[in-house]
Amino acid sequence: MTFFLAILDGLIVLLLAPLTVGFVRLAKARFQNRRGAPVYLPYLTLLSLMRKEMTVTKHSSWVFAAAPFFVLASAIALAFIVPTAAAGVLPDFASNLFLVGGIAAFGSVFLAMGGMDAASTFGNMGASREMTLAAFVEPAFYMGFSALALVGGTWSLDGILRHLASLPWSAGVPAASIALVALVFVTLAENARYPVDNPATHLELTMVHEAMLLEYSGPSLALLEYASAVKLTVMLGLVASLSLPFFLIQPPVTALGLVLGVLALIAKLALAAFVLAFIESTFVKMRFYRMQEYFSLAFIVALAGLLLALISMTR
Amino acid sequence: MAPSVFGLLFVAALVLPLLGSAAALLARRAGWGNALSQYLFMLSGVLGLAALAGYFTALHAASSVVLLSSPVLAFSVTPLSAFFLLIVYLGTFITSLYALGYLPLYADAYSVPLTNAVSGVFLFALAAVLLSTTVFTFLLSWELMSLSAYFLVIADRSPESLSAGFLYLVMTHIGFACLSAGFLLLSGGHAFISFDGVREVARQLNPAALAAAFALLFIGFGSKAGLVPLHQWLPYAHPQAPSHSSALLSGTMLKVALYGFLLALTLFPGIPASWAFTVAAVGLISAFFGALSAAVEHDAKRLLAWSSVENMGLIFSGVGIALVLHGLSMPLSGALAAAFALFVAFHVLNHFAFKTGLFLATGAMVAKTHTRDLDLYGGLAGKWPAFSGVFLVLVIAAAALPPSGTFFGEWLYLQSLAAALRFSSPLLVASAAAALGLAALVGGLALFAFVKFFSAAFLGRARSEHAEAAEPMPVLLLVPPLLCAAFSVLLGLFGLPVLSAATAGFGSLVPVTTVVPGASMSAWFVFALLAFASAFAFIAYRVFARNRTVRRTETWDCGTPLTPRMEYTATGFSAPMRFFFRGLVMAQKEILAEAVVPGNPWIANRRIEWSIASVWEAWLYRRIARGIVSVAAFVKRLQNGVIQLYLLFVLLALIIVVLVAL
Repeated sequence: MTFFLAILDGLIVLLLAPLTVGFVRLAKARFQNRRGAPVYLPYLTLLSLMRKEMTVTKHSSWVFAAAPFFVLASAIALAFIVPTAAAGVLPDFASNLFLVGGIAAFGSVFLAMGGMDAASTFGNMGASREMTLAAFVEPAFYMGFSALALVGGTWSLDGILRHLASLPWSAGVPAASIALVALVFVTLAENARYPVDNPATHLELTMVHEAMLLEYSGPSLALLEYASAVKLTVMLGLVASLSLPFFLIQPPVTALGLVLGVLALIAKLALAAFVLAFIESTFVKMRFYRMQEYFSLAFIVALAGLLLALISMTR
Repeated sequence: MAPSVFGLLFVAALVLPLLGSAAALLARRAGWGNALSQYLFMLSGVLGLAALAGYFTALHAASSVVLLSSPVLAFSVTPLSAFFLLIVYLGTFITSLYALGYLPLYADAYSVPLTNAVSGVFLFALAAVLLSTTVFTFLLSWELMSLSAYFLVIADRSPESLSAGFLYLVMTHIGFACLSAGFLLLSGGHAFISFDGVREVARQLNPAALAAAFALLFIGFGSKAGLVPLHQWLPYAHPQAPSHSSALLSGTMLKVALYGFLLALTLFPGIPASWAFTVAAVGLISAFFGALSAAVEHDAKRLLAWSSVENMGLIFSGVGIALVLHGLSMPLSGALAAAFALFVAFHVLNHFAFKTGLFLATGAMVAKTHTRDLDLYGGLAGKWPAFSGVFLVLVIAAAALPPSGTFFGEWLYLQSLAAALRFSSPLLVASAAAALGLAALVGGLALFAFVKFFSAAFLGRARSEHAEAAEPMPVLLLVPPLLCAAFSVLLGLFGLPVLSAATAGFGSLVPVTTVVPGASMSAWFVFALLAFASAFAFIAYRVFARNRTVRRTETWDCGTPLTPRMEYTATGFSAPMRFFFRGLVMAQKEILAEAVVPGNPWIANRRIEWSIASVWEAWLYRRIARGIVSVAAFVKRLQNGVIQLYLLFVLLALIIVVLVAL
């Protein structure tokens, strides 16, 4: 039963991923006084990309063609091992936080390689920057999650979520609050959002993620766009569920619980998308060569989260 | 197999490389001389592996096989040495198989018979160090190993190799002096004493002598293993050797240094926590500097050598942390110490597999493109699809990405550090947090370095004519890296389940390794997950992609034709790292302009000159050198040619000797 719930949790994320992107874009449009596109537009964009002809530069090799599959595979694997709608459904080894970090890095590496294989300076620059960010995000990522692990008493994300869900909100989440702030930093960096990257730009000086996708077209672009939507949904869903561990699908499961769980996830994603759009509309993008300040701050916040977790543990 | 049979096999495996050396010299004019030597080396590898298979299956784990026990020389196989012999003989086999096709390509650069003769002595010495059971045998074999490695480093006799070799020779003898002093201090001055005997003597020593011996042995073995600040020689010396020897130096000899250190640890009655902390800190700092230097390096083989510094640093820090935890008596400290010990053993195998493979594959690449500069490669994946696939597997292992064995090894490391955050002592928690942050950064830098390596070498367009005109890769040069890649994948699949006491999980479908409750990993699950996710991605593509036509085009160029010169090189790729770590990476860049027409500064030939200096060289080595030179200049005043003064010195010396003797 728990096995099916784990699969279901992953499938829900995979289905909701374009919707999250739609939410974020809508919220951003409203912040900018625009009406904005309907939230379901990303679904249509992906489907229409799937119908388009693909152009592949003749200077590229098999790596360019294979990269989108590995990037998407990494995102799909994350969708299945990171708990979002359900808790208490994965064994400890399946959602170990270091495995999550490793799988995320696996996707970044293939994305960067795809960018390097296009023989274009844009892709090269994006790849170089992406790998720099990937190297810097690791300490904050592991330290932030380790702080959560101290709160939850287990190094499995599923176990941490289960622990937070089993306590009253005021007993569990405050101890984890600073670590969750650190995870917001990590989420912004991992998903190429403000202030690390600008997801809406095509200006060569400011882009990281988009630069690597520049040479992709048609179905392979759809795979990469979908992969980044899935990764965003996974991270937002995780942070939202950890900070608001309500209405999670937990065994023993009822039909009502299932429906409530899915609706609650959609609501949490919408809320997280609003917060993300708020951050993106109020902060400015940082210069790339000031990124060490951002990541130092993220690491220090994660350390503070660790301290808070230790203090709350001894109490 | 009876013990005497594989005793004989061990002896045969030990001496066959020497036969190979003799064959290389005797058949130096014959065209088949190289092949004969390599076959003998490979036979040694096979016999050694067979003997080890017999040893591991037939014998009880704690027993040793005595091969030779004379007062002067004594060799025997112990469980610890058997583990390290495994990588020696695997390395012997794979690198000799490679040299079969590789050395003939360099018949002009190297004297092939001499290189093989030295290689044979080196292979013999590697095994002999591991088999030694007395202090004298150990030091003799160690010196033989170091000296033969020197001749491998200077094999091409280029000025660059000679200066790298000289640096190596100096450093290795500083190390050797420390080792001799350390061992003799422990053994009470007896050179021919067995290690069991040393243990007895060491028990009676006072703590100060023990601390001095430990410091000397740590410096000696650490300098060979490339720990900072004594790592300076390694990135210069290892890449200068022929590539199959570089693979042995980095993949195997560094592990022999680790073996020596572990052996030395067993001689002490106990290891205080402060020593263990020192080992862990030095290891982590080495790992950081190695990874950072690899991230900004653009010489293909030197990048691999820096990565060896990183990995040996991680291994030594693992040893140090295991010792710290072993000395504690807290809940979970025993389990975590065991996890770190497991990491050390596992990472020795993983690093051997990917580093040997990468050195061999890089050697093949260098042989076909005639350059070691990563900035001059590019576009090789299109020319060598199979070779680039093998290389990618090795790179994934080197970057510790799932599902490689290295990932599971580093998982043990990071996970155990994260678990150590739960200790109640503030000092331990602070150290664990610092180590976790640093180790995560090291992992990130290694990831950066190897993505840069693979991308610059294989992806995009060729950045030089040599890379453009690269010939097809011969199968003989592809097979040895392929074996290493296969070994790497097997380590990923079976390493963690076999080495750890894995329990069955997930409806007993997959073996699960648990460090402490709540912290577990299953290698098979990760493989299944990635296979499932890749299949999912592929099926999604097949189902949804209505249009699968592909048009081959030029790269989008904004209307200006692109040239390979516009691509990022490895140097360009690492520019952000050079910027962010500019305090530690002393990169100097100078734009030189020469006016074409004198007096007109606007039309000029511009070129850029840049270099990365070593901070250790600037801060430490140069200062020591300056100090020595100034002391020498002061002492020089005594040597002024006045014979009466010299006679006075002799008289003074005699008086002092008499006083001391009395």
